[in-house]
Amino acid sequence: MTKKTHRAIGAMPRLFAGVLLLCASSVVAADNFKAFTNESFEQIKASFAGQEFLLGLWSVDCPPCMVEMQLMAELIELNPDLPYVLVSTDSIEQRDYSAEYLEDVGLEDKESWMFADSFVERLRFSIDPNWYGELPRSYFFDSEHNTQSHSGIVSEELLSEWFSRPLKFR
Amino acid sequence: MKTTLRPMAAFILYLTIATSLTVPSSVSANECGAATVISIHCGSAPSATIDDDGRLWVTYVHDQHVYVSHSDDQGKTYSSAVRVNPVKEDAEHNGENRPKIIVDENSNVYVSWTKKTSPRFTGEIRFSRSTDGGKTFESPRTINDDGLFAGHRFESLYQTESGHLYMTWIDKRDLEASIARGEDYAGAAIYYAVSDDRGATFSTNTRIANNSCECCRIAIAPQGPENIAILWRQIFGVTTRDHAIAVLTPFGEIQDMGRASYDEWQIDACPHHGPTMIQSSESGDYHMSWFSNGDLHQGIYYARYSFEEAQPSQVYRVDGKAGAGHPYLAEFAGTLYLVWKGFDGQNTNLSLIRSIDDGASWSEATILHRTSQGSDHPLIVSDDEGLYLSWHTQEYGYVFEKLTNDRESRSGD
Repeated sequence: MTKKTHRAIGAMPRLFAGVLLLCASSVVAADNFKAFTNESFEQIKASFAGQEFLLGLWSVDCPPCMVEMQLMAELIELNPDLPYVLVSTDSIEQRDYSAEYLEDVGLEDKESWMFADSFVERLRFSIDPNWYGELPRSYFFDSEHNTQSHSGIVSEELLSEWFSRPLKFR
Repeated sequence: MKTTLRPMAAFILYLTIATSLTVPSSVSANECGAATVISIHCGSAPSATIDDDGRLWVTYVHDQHVYVSHSDDQGKTYSSAVRVNPVKEDAEHNGENRPKIIVDENSNVYVSWTKKTSPRFTGEIRFSRSTDGGKTFESPRTINDDGLFAGHRFESLYQTESGHLYMTWIDKRDLEASIARGEDYAGAAIYYAVSDDRGATFSTNTRIANNSCECCRIAIAPQGPENIAILWRQIFGVTTRDHAIAVLTPFGEIQDMGRASYDEWQIDACPHHGPTMIQSSESGDYHMSWFSNGDLHQGIYYARYSFEEAQPSQVYRVDGKAGAGHPYLAEFAGTLYLVWKGFDGQNTNLSLIRSIDDGASWSEATILHRTSQGSDHPLIVSDDEGLYLSWHTQEYGYVFEKLTNDRESRSGD
């Protein structure tokens, strides 16, 4: 497996970005996004029955999400089995941008969903009626699926508090 | 309507659609499957304005083009769509970041939008105008003058009584410079430029504030004949994302900057939830509404701001229910109107409250519309006759309807 490079969030050279865009638009669905609909949240929880997991909501339009995902990518490099599910609130019709970012940050192999209903209020509600849509948003489910939530970049302290397993940090 | 077209007639009809880009205005957004259907009902994130002759103008995005359509019957039927950018570009089209349109007294049409230049929050502030009454548009120009491949997004456009055309936006050139120096920089910056020649040229860019939030629309209201007041989400301290207000002049001067909301929303996240603001015709103060999920305030709020007192007053919780969002304010004949969206678990409800005492007290909420499908943020457009709701929905297409009725103009509820 190739080592991922984690590029800084700053500006990219224009030419390089242009090439990336061209690549993104010419490749058809080379990602593993699943369509997130009204039933998906329950499906995800069912698939982790009896296990703890972290659900991370993000968007390509959210700069703090990028910070969090770099942090999570580093964490997963050190803790490869960490149960982490990504849900992008961007429309799955715009999957190219999201796929490009996940690949770039090194999270493309994680279970990943994208919003697949233009009625986003209902999708948000299906996850948490009390979530206003701010991003990044994290939900931690313990093995009994007691839930804790956090808005904003998740910290190492919070992750250590949430997960029962010991986490390795850089 | 069931019709059978002979092949030639069908071909001519196809050509007509393909060349004039005209569709019946009755098409609803659920019938917008074909990529060739260019209509206000099928476009994304429309903005509207009404010119001095009572003509409604709407701009929207469809398939990487910004379009403009107009209506002479208050939105019952629309003209052919006129394409603004001849070459496709990724024009932002979401609730917080939509194309804007202004039509002046000489029927010059001004359109602005944000061109997304990568998935990494980079963009350019784009502007085009029509000097022939909306028939054709000049080649789009980039208004941010730094030449950087960096974030320039969430533009707002406003024309004052004096004719000055203001563009404000969220800008990341200072963030990039800080990164290059190895220094931290919280959030982004707010910049602006002004045209004093009806959009022919714009001034050099001026920074209004460092450390703004990165992803919320900026609200603009007039301040005298040539200045404007703007309201935006700003980072106070390390992570508190409340609101700041300032007055801008056409000459690059920033005055009376102050804090406009004290919600104590400490969050290292993107709320994607910008404010709305108008100036009171009675007091000259500013009416503001916004969303927060702070320690002090949670939900949709209203407050009044006076630059003399430099603080918010009459702070009022409009809606504290989960799912409430995206308020929009307008005034007509001394009555304030505030619309916003809520979600009850099944439907999105579009609600309205009114105030007949300059925001001191508010009516009970009335639900104007309910939809069980996706919808845009609600906007309000005004002319001499009243106020109109401008709201794009998947279920009903583009909704344009009068909010005020003639006999109620000063009667409140």
